[in-house]
Amino acid sequence: MIIAFKTDVDGVLLACSALKEHPDAELVFAKDRRELERKLTFSGTEDEVVRLGFTPIAGTKNLIREVLGKCPAKMSRTDTSPVQYIDLVLRHSKANPAELIHLIVSCNGSAEHLYTGKSKLARRYYNYMRDVTRAWQRMCMFARPDFVNGIQTVDIDSPHDVADIFCRWLAKKNPDVPVAVIFGNAAWVGNGELVGLDHFTKTAAAFVKSLRTSLSSKNKEADEVEGLWDVFYNSQMIESRRNRRLASKMQPKSSAGMSKMAKADRYKVERGISNCTLEMFVGDAREVSV
Amino acid sequence: MTEQHHTLTERMRILAQGTKYDSCNQSAVCHAFGPDGRCIQLYKTLLTNSCAGECAYCPNRNKRDTVRASLTPEEIVKITWSFYRKNAIEGLFLSSGIIGDAENTAEKQLEVAKLLRSQGFTGYIHTRMMPGTPKYLLEEIAEHSNKFGVNAETTSSVNYSEICPNFDYNNDILTRLKWTRDLIKKQRRKVGYGGRIVGANDTQFVVGAVNEPDREIISTVHKFMDRYALRRPYFMSFDPVPDTPLQNGIASPKWRENRLYQASFLMKDYGIKASDFDVIFNDDGFLADADPKMRLAYAHPDYFPMDINKAARDELLMVPGIGPISANRIIQARPITSEQELARMGVVISRARPFIEINGSKQTNLHSFMGVGS
Repeated sequence: MIIAFKTDVDGVLLACSALKEHPDAELVFAKDRRELERKLTFSGTEDEVVRLGFTPIAGTKNLIREVLGKCPAKMSRTDTSPVQYIDLVLRHSKANPAELIHLIVSCNGSAEHLYTGKSKLARRYYNYMRDVTRAWQRMCMFARPDFVNGIQTVDIDSPHDVADIFCRWLAKKNPDVPVAVIFGNAAWVGNGELVGLDHFTKTAAAFVKSLRTSLSSKNKEADEVEGLWDVFYNSQMIESRRNRRLASKMQPKSSAGMSKMAKADRYKVERGISNCTLEMFVGDAREVSV
Repeated sequence: MTEQHHTLTERMRILAQGTKYDSCNQSAVCHAFGPDGRCIQLYKTLLTNSCAGECAYCPNRNKRDTVRASLTPEEIVKITWSFYRKNAIEGLFLSSGIIGDAENTAEKQLEVAKLLRSQGFTGYIHTRMMPGTPKYLLEEIAEHSNKFGVNAETTSSVNYSEICPNFDYNNDILTRLKWTRDLIKKQRRKVGYGGRIVGANDTQFVVGAVNEPDREIISTVHKFMDRYALRRPYFMSFDPVPDTPLQNGIASPKWRENRLYQASFLMKDYGIKASDFDVIFNDDGFLADADPKMRLAYAHPDYFPMDINKAARDELLMVPGIGPISANRIIQARPITSEQELARMGVVISRARPFIEINGSKQTNLHSFMGVGS
């Protein structure tokens, strides 16, 4: 028997439930029907195939209770609910949905095992969940959108599939303007009703880019804000408390490429903030000449 | 105290510098980290550094010869929006020198908060109130700010009158702390779960300006947690400022500030009481430059080694290297069979090893060889 499931939360939960009943079944996953049929055709299997999660279902709550028992008490502020855990893990570039199902089934109805890290597999998937959380949180921290023609747009890059959650976060933070997050050839638009689209929608990156015109005005405004930010950032430095190790950890090199501003901040973390200005040299020169 | 002409950028720099010792509370997303590792999540500024107060440690005290500057509410609002749209901040932290009196200052601060909210600003606003702010203005500020509070600076009215002669500790500070506690409670009930953030009561202490020992600071923090629902105290090491009455004072070492923070976290998250620290203070009531939790563990050798599979959560929290999260994980994942399992749960084994026992095995120590206690 083959359990074929869609790689989303419902698909994973349905597949877990089915695997409990048929522990010897093989698992096949796909992000949509077309991909699934291609996989099945390619394998040439003649076994019975149960397709799960490809039609919308209601009652994820009941399903999660059936598979993982009562929702566990949070162990830390950063821990997510089991549904969010599955959703985040599935976004990880290295996650194997079949392996995730085996992990969930091995929990025997205790969701706590997903979080305790008691086994190596549980620890690895817990870390995947944390990696994805960290990836979109770092975007929230270090991405710097441009605000042009009333639209807030930002280009992002990530090994994990987090563009939509970042877009939702940005849209919630700025409910009065449309926001667009461009990720490769696709763009997620939040608060889209302000430009005649759905509230939250996926569209072609080219469409959003076409809305970003008048680049010269963008550059001028952006430069002004970046200049002000530099002044503010420098003003917060306490030289006697410089802690390069901690600062480098908190503002990691991998996140520096997310924006020009983050890159400049990272440079200062590494090199410190010079208080040496051209005026000092001019002043010295005058004194000498006098 | 006349102000000379400065450009907007110069004024912004001067006034932002005036708040650089104020820490963020990490309740929201941080957007940058300074070279000292502290996060930046808010645009922190003073409205003005012209101040009517004569606080003995403060660089902005009245009549001190220093560069004075102000920003108008409109300018602060404009800068806040620019940074916010650029996703460089989560909101605004607004403090100020005292403009005439506390009432006038609070009115100006309120103007900034109101202006931002009227323009649809949904970000975080933290308003640092002046001692003696009237209740009606605190009530209005509570409507527009996410967090608001007043700095206690020290531990008693005697100490306070020494460093802040213009104000009364009991009336201008403690009464205000009580009002802010009640207003926060009221706002939380009104806004409800899932609404806008209403931050907990907070306050700041200047460490080392007067000779209050750590014992006094820790017991004051504990009292404030109890009476005023203080969530988190902030500590700022005293640094003597030239041309102030305390210019010849001795700078408080930075490690003292760190140890006080550690002690406050132990009270906030580990359920340790102020009196529990008594065993680790020196004769003068000061903490040593060592991790207070480790010192507490060494002070109670009879508690250890602790059986990791039998200890209650409170007991686990006494073990160095085990925090609230790892204690929860241990309880959920019992029985624990190896150190590797503990390490995967986030326990710092190198710190915890001398204090724990797993299935009867524990670290051998000198006492075992000498047969002490057998």
